[in-house]
Amino acid sequence: MTDEFTVYLVDDDPGVLKGLSRLLRARRYEVKAYSSPRVFLDEHDMAVPGCAVLDVSMPGLDGLEIQRVLTAASGYHRPVVFVTGKGDIPTSVRAMKAGAIDFLTKPVKDKDLFEAISHAEARDAESRQLHSEMKSIQAKVSNLTPREREVFTHVVAGRLNKQIAGDLGTVEKTIKVHRSRMMEKLGIRTVADLVRMAGKLNLSR
Amino acid sequence: MLLFLFGAESRAAEPRRVLMLHAFNYTFPATTLIADSARKRLLERSPQPLEIDADFLDLARNTDAEYESRIAMFLRTKYEKRPPDLVITLGSAALPFIVRHREAIAPNAPVVFTAVSAQSYGALQLPSNITGIISEFNLDKTLALAERLQPEASRLFVIAGSGEADRRWQSAARKTIEAHQRKFEVTYLFERSFANLVEEVSKIPRDSIVMLLTVFADSEGNAFVPAHVAGSLSAISPAPLYAPYDTYIGNGSVGGFVETFESVGVRAADMALQILAGKDPATIAPQTNPGQAYRVDHRAMARWKLQESKLPPDTAVLFKEPTIWSEHRGAVVGAILIVALQSLIVGALLVQRRRRLRAESLLKESEERMTFAAAAANIGLWQFDQHRNELWATEHCRAMFGIARDAPLTRDTFLSAVHPDDLQTATQALKRSLETEQPAISDVRIVLPGGEVRWIRMRARSYQEDNGESEQGGGIFIDVTDQKSAEAETALQRVEIEHLMRVSVLGELSGSIAHEINQPLTAILSNAQAALHLLAQNSPDLAEVRDALEDIVHEDNRAGEVIHRLRSLLKKGERKTEYVNINDLVRSTVSLLHSELIGRDISLRLDLDHAPFLTRGDSVQLQQVLLNLVMNAMDAMASTPIAQRSILISTSGPQAGMVDVLVRDRGHGIHPKANGRLFEPFYTTKNHGLGLGLTLCSTIIQAHQGRLTLVNDERGGAIAKFSLPVQQPTLHAA
Repeated sequence: MTDEFTVYLVDDDPGVLKGLSRLLRARRYEVKAYSSPRVFLDEHDMAVPGCAVLDVSMPGLDGLEIQRVLTAASGYHRPVVFVTGKGDIPTSVRAMKAGAIDFLTKPVKDKDLFEAISHAEARDAESRQLHSEMKSIQAKVSNLTPREREVFTHVVAGRLNKQIAGDLGTVEKTIKVHRSRMMEKLGIRTVADLVRMAGKLNLSR
Repeated sequence: MLLFLFGAESRAAEPRRVLMLHAFNYTFPATTLIADSARKRLLERSPQPLEIDADFLDLARNTDAEYESRIAMFLRTKYEKRPPDLVITLGSAALPFIVRHREAIAPNAPVVFTAVSAQSYGALQLPSNITGIISEFNLDKTLALAERLQPEASRLFVIAGSGEADRRWQSAARKTIEAHQRKFEVTYLFERSFANLVEEVSKIPRDSIVMLLTVFADSEGNAFVPAHVAGSLSAISPAPLYAPYDTYIGNGSVGGFVETFESVGVRAADMALQILAGKDPATIAPQTNPGQAYRVDHRAMARWKLQESKLPPDTAVLFKEPTIWSEHRGAVVGAILIVALQSLIVGALLVQRRRRLRAESLLKESEERMTFAAAAANIGLWQFDQHRNELWATEHCRAMFGIARDAPLTRDTFLSAVHPDDLQTATQALKRSLETEQPAISDVRIVLPGGEVRWIRMRARSYQEDNGESEQGGGIFIDVTDQKSAEAETALQRVEIEHLMRVSVLGELSGSIAHEINQPLTAILSNAQAALHLLAQNSPDLAEVRDALEDIVHEDNRAGEVIHRLRSLLKKGERKTEYVNINDLVRSTVSLLHSELIGRDISLRLDLDHAPFLTRGDSVQLQQVLLNLVMNAMDAMASTPIAQRSILISTSGPQAGMVDVLVRDRGHGIHPKANGRLFEPFYTTKNHGLGLGLTLCSTIIQAHQGRLTLVNDERGGAIAKFSLPVQQPTLHAA
């Protein structure tokens, strides 16, 4: 499995599919072309960096539905570029609201397509980084004891050690120990970093 | 003086017109006898040519006022151009009729009436130029005759019907009989049904007197001819039957004191002749019963065993067989034989001559009638003699073919009028007409001298000669120009409508069809841009560039095909006939619908038979039918759940030389109310429909000798099926 950025191309029209993949390959993109949305969903690997270029109207499953399925399958947003023969406004609004990178009308100009894909590439890298970051945070959080987790939420909520001790029915000293252990396990030095991490965690939830 | 002479001369040259108006229809013997004898007399005695017309008012059977005004209107129109100079009425009802409508039918024409009773005459306030013969039917004297023949009879049966005239007789008869000297035991058989009358009459005792007046109608409203009633009743009556009517004599009645209708006719004719000669009708007084006399039927007398010796003097005995036989048999036998033989020959000759004359006049009349009718119907009659190369044709043909008045009517004259392109058709039709007994029909164009082109339909057939050879052909020419132009116009309109429907269907599909063109355009653009990018590289992959270019060509063809299909559907044109592969037709039609189907979330499946069926027809029209049926199927599924929306198009066959194409949907099906009306023009169940789609589809399929049916699928939805004859191209052996 390569980690090269891959363009997943889905269009039920074989001629269009062939033309677009040739164009993208000429630009040295790794392309995987599918004429059936179902096959695409079955074979699709979220771990591979890349973006999806979807035709909006296809028999069985249209582009917007694929986008929904992709998002629902994992927390990770696979960037999607739509191409359509009938660029009607309601459809494009729905697509963009669902987080699409762009909504291109056929025939697609190479410049627009490449621009959208490089945009998607950046977005993918970004979300991929976020994702890996998240993963390491989650791993660290999972190492905390239940008590340390409680202290974590209270600290993030801005409570003082004394207050936390009162809430949890213990003494301030004990809380201080939990707190320094928790910070150590998470590899964090300041409360500000802790709050930022909690924010990221919330985002992914 | 000179002027007067001219006037007189021109009047003499013009025939005088006499109109005989019968009150009844032609089956009434009395008025028919009067009319015949009057007509004969008129023609014999008139110094000037006469034109005698007759009309039967039939007022006895039609008594409503509306009928009278209709027939008056008819007669007014009929005689508008040539009003009669004199009217003779026959039967009492005809007189008040002409008095009421004379101004319309025959303004100011004098009237001679006949067969009008004194009572009716008295009731009418007649203008001075109306005169005629009053007929009084003398019951009293007829009764006197019966008394003389049957002195011992004590019972009297009097018969009259329920018609208007019959009822007049009823009261008149009661009065006469009451006033009669001798008293009878009287039974009045009035107002009976005919069946009842027959039954009563058959039970009358032998020694009675039966007096039959008139039966124009029975109590059930059935109409009768009185003379025929006389025949029926006298045949079954056990007692002698008398009547004051001449027409009953010979129909079984013994007789009576009667007016002969012939004499009435003669007198009426004489009056008419006087008036036509210039005599003022006001100076001619009406006459009553000019020729009344005792008349009896010898055969009826013999039947009821009545003695001739008891007859009043001057009685005319009719139908009497000669008795001379018995007295001078030996001496006369030879003479009689010769006389008989001679009369037989004379009679036979006379009969033959009469028949021949009659046949000749009938033939002439019938020919005149036929020619007139044919000309009125714009039909020309023709006959062609091959042997003599002669063509006979009615004068009307000249007008139809624009042949000059002095030009001879020959085969070549006619053929020269025929349009050069149709000359062969015309000559072949003539030839064929002689070869076959079957009627042949062909339409040809002719060019009139003014350049106008008209269509003539020739119907021809031959007449077999005795020797089995047909040398004579004949038939009719009918001008069918109007029909042809109407046909052409209809065809034009049909083409127009078909085209409009195609345009409207394609209009509905425009978005989807644009998409069908957009797809290859997208592929083309992508390939072209890919090629450019490849070429911009340092060491371009030329094989890939080549592939891209090939794909461009392929995709361009694909777009071209869609446009071609569209163009043929959008083109307005005459119906073509070519071999059409039905499976290809289905595929090509479906390809236009591809994105429409996706847009409507409908899955379409094809189940096409492997055999390539060919039919002959117009592919554009057949495609239109299929397009329409699939569009209907799609519209029918608007409210079907998405998962169930599907259309199946299948082809199968051939069965009995027909291939079936089925379009099956899962929609709402055909509403029972709509069933049977689906093919009616302008019937629609759609909000936006014109109601012409299926009508047109059906017309197109029928024009291809096929059939279109629509039924509900028992599993839900509807099945549209059309069958077309399979026609494989014949391979000609080289």
